[in-house]
Amino acid sequence: MTGYAVVLASGELERVQAVSMISSIAASSDTPVQVFVTMNGLSAFEKDRVENGDFQVAGPAGEAMLQGSGDEVPLFTEQLERAKGIGPLEVYACEMVMDLMGTDLDDYVDVFDDTLGVAGFLNRAADKQVLFV
Amino acid sequence: MSDTPSPDIEIDSRGAACPGPLMDLIGKVKDVESGTVIELLTSDEGSKNDVPEWLEEAGHELLSIEEEGDYWAIYIETT
Repeated sequence: MTGYAVVLASGELERVQAVSMISSIAASSDTPVQVFVTMNGLSAFEKDRVENGDFQVAGPAGEAMLQGSGDEVPLFTEQLERAKGIGPLEVYACEMVMDLMGTDLDDYVDVFDDTLGVAGFLNRAADKQVLFV
Repeated sequence: MSDTPSPDIEIDSRGAACPGPLMDLIGKVKDVESGTVIELLTSDEGSKNDVPEWLEEAGHELLSIEEEGDYWAIYIETT
């Protein structure tokens, strides 16, 4: 196994958090991970949204995370940031969606290595197990 | 307990949910020499079960897990 290529196509907090947890632990354990953030997934990374905690949630787990009850769950942005300092984790933003939304990387929190198109993602995913979230 | 290992390093991850304690441990394990005994404190029951899984895959030794009331002390020796 040469790692995981994760497609994050949803902006729901539960899914974004799950991707960040799994990717962070894998990369910290020296398993290469590339996360391709596309479609509504990108919206969760907007600076304003992250600052205000204004996330789309799907159900009770997401609501509990937003309320911060119980033990502290680190937000996906901090988790990804930290894991990138420990192991082989790369995060890419989808060029097509950014064109569609009229945004550039400065509109998003600083976790992205670069922007990427579909061909670029497929090249990187060729030797990896793909997870679509 | 008389056979509690004496740690070289303590990591206090109490109050952090999964996967916080595991991330704390992994970060530290990468910095230390082999043969280092680490004591990881966690109040997260999921981590108590997940840390041994990671240790098995990463090849480090689980010395013991001790229940300390509302948290656990996990002792690890790096290889």
